[in-house]
Amino acid sequence: MKQQARILFGTLSLAASALALSTSLSFAQTPDTCVTGVDMATLGPQGIVGQGPHGEKAASPDELKLTDDEAAKVKAGKFKVGISMQTVNLDWSQLQVAGISETLAKYGVTVTGVASAEYQVDKQIADIENTIQQHPDGIISIPVDFTATAPTYKKVGEAGIKLVFMDSIPVGLESPKDFASMISADSQGNGQIAATILASCMPKGGTIGLVNFGVDYFSTNERTKGVSEWMKKNRPDIVMKQVDFTDPSKVSQIAGDFLTGNPDVKGLFAVWDQPALDTLSSMRAQGIDIPITTVDLGLQSAIEIAKGGPLKATGSQRPYDQGVAEALAMMKALIGEKTPAWVGVQSLPVVQSNVLESYKTVFHKDPPAELVDACNAAKPKCN
Amino acid sequence: MTETQSPAKAAIAQPGGRPALLSLLQGERPYMLYLAFAVMLVVFSLASPWFLSIDNFLNIGRQTTLVSIIAVGMTFVIISRQIDLSVASTLALSGMSASLAMAFVANSWIVGALAGLGTGALIGLINGLLTTRLEIPSFLVTLGTLSGARGLALMVTNTKPVIITNEYYFAIFGEGSVLGIPAPILWTLGVTVAGILLLHYSVYGRRVYAAGGNPTAALYSGVRIKQVTTLAFVLTGTLAGLASLILSARSHAARPDVVQGMELDVIASVILGGCSLFGGRGFVLGTLLGSLIIGTLNNGLVLLGVSSSLQLVIKGAIIVAAVAFTRR
Repeated sequence: MKQQARILFGTLSLAASALALSTSLSFAQTPDTCVTGVDMATLGPQGIVGQGPHGEKAASPDELKLTDDEAAKVKAGKFKVGISMQTVNLDWSQLQVAGISETLAKYGVTVTGVASAEYQVDKQIADIENTIQQHPDGIISIPVDFTATAPTYKKVGEAGIKLVFMDSIPVGLESPKDFASMISADSQGNGQIAATILASCMPKGGTIGLVNFGVDYFSTNERTKGVSEWMKKNRPDIVMKQVDFTDPSKVSQIAGDFLTGNPDVKGLFAVWDQPALDTLSSMRAQGIDIPITTVDLGLQSAIEIAKGGPLKATGSQRPYDQGVAEALAMMKALIGEKTPAWVGVQSLPVVQSNVLESYKTVFHKDPPAELVDACNAAKPKCN
Repeated sequence: MTETQSPAKAAIAQPGGRPALLSLLQGERPYMLYLAFAVMLVVFSLASPWFLSIDNFLNIGRQTTLVSIIAVGMTFVIISRQIDLSVASTLALSGMSASLAMAFVANSWIVGALAGLGTGALIGLINGLLTTRLEIPSFLVTLGTLSGARGLALMVTNTKPVIITNEYYFAIFGEGSVLGIPAPILWTLGVTVAGILLLHYSVYGRRVYAAGGNPTAALYSGVRIKQVTTLAFVLTGTLAGLASLILSARSHAARPDVVQGMELDVIASVILGGCSLFGGRGFVLGTLLGSLIIGTLNNGLVLLGVSSSLQLVIKGAIIVAAVAFTRR
């Protein structure tokens, strides 16, 4: 046994030392020709670009502000509200819940509990039924799916409980009969931001690749649509190719193979930040350095943008602000005021020059040391 | 249990009665696996102009690294009549442990590597001890650690990724290369060679075959089955730890939700490579080939632009067909 252990150890340590001795530490930088030509002030859409799931036009969150009179009524009502999420394991959901809870607390509204469905339809149905049993005055929820949860959500309205949705509406539910409002990010607007910056990096007649989620889902569909429609309208010279993934854990392989099979692709859009980061890791491995843009902001994507590498920009949602809007819509509904059927929360363009400030805007806290360090190393371009 | 093997043969089975080198190359079913792989290479080369290139083969090598490395360990586990479902979760937790050690203990690749490998080995040890000492079926034990390790990985940072900044770590496990061969592929080769030496040229390897082929006979011949089996789990856990170092070095961060469901790809590679799910039979090179066949299939289908849903159907059909073909 000892001899085998020695052989094993010897082989592994030989491999390690060979690597340590002869590694090539080359971290290529994309030439900084893009983004610079884009005017940040006019980059993001000025309003809401997309339409709601039923083609409705978006209202602004400003329409949800409470008057002093309304605020007093809410405080006097001593209302209780339950929250049902698809998961609580995402920054996105935690920021939503924080925005909702902190806003409700300001007006004396109690949150009875936050249920997490772990993306399972049957769990969410049980969660909502259990919440109804607690007799809250309102429920704020993101449906895990469009169809199977619909009958359960109808029960909410029938029980006299006000309902506010985040991001999507189950089939057959109508405002104001079944629910008060739906609040969502402007996914198409986010797609436009990604498209505008990607286009600024592309030569005339260049080819871009869209790394798209192959599952029919409203917000990801809207993002890709935002990119392709913007390109068709503003840069018809750009050729678009698309690769779909259905399993997010396979993006690195799929995007890497797509780039091998399509060497003409000189720029990429990935439908959210994690697929963008996975694409980036396979690009690094293959020695490919082309610009990528995406939608959504997380710590790692913020760091990549700060460094000034291939990840050029993202169109970020504002989940905390969206939570604030959901809480305001709920409170208006609780005191019997009319609320818009769909409220869109405007997109936020994030590039190297505004990444620190954007992080604060999105996460409502100071950027962590890793991000600040990455940004300092890339000064003065990073701010 | 449809497989029949004479106890005497199984107990001493180097696979088959052929000379050691031949059995190392061929396993139980000579040539068929190589033929299946060759057919696939020819078909994809004819169908896509981008398939047949060194760069693309390096792609396939890199993409199959994680599965190949863990599958080498899984070969030992399956030959000894056990199964390890926890490998993907072990990888996730080991990666978190490596990155957190570098963030909070010392930003050195050695500290990260020790933490990652150590965590993997520890989970392997837990799997092995629960299976052999408490005699709980390994399917259930590792189903438990699959859930437990993933939960811990998600819990330590409250589901957030941990950023890695150590450039030596990136180079050694992810992005470096020697003579143009990327580090992940070198690690795969190193692990495969070590696996071959250990399984086919060592006393321990013969004991693994004996423990899985016919445990009763092995026990009476003085093989300490519990130790042999536990060590197979520790080996697999450690290799899952190594895979976590490679993955996190490549993505410059460790994430707790990575590679969910990868255990199935690992098991598929081992079985496709000619290993028997009922123990006692299998060979390391076959496992590597099994992993490469699945990886080549994934790669080729994307190059051909097959839709992502259809890819899954084709992949499933080809894997079943390949197993049927190589078993005939």
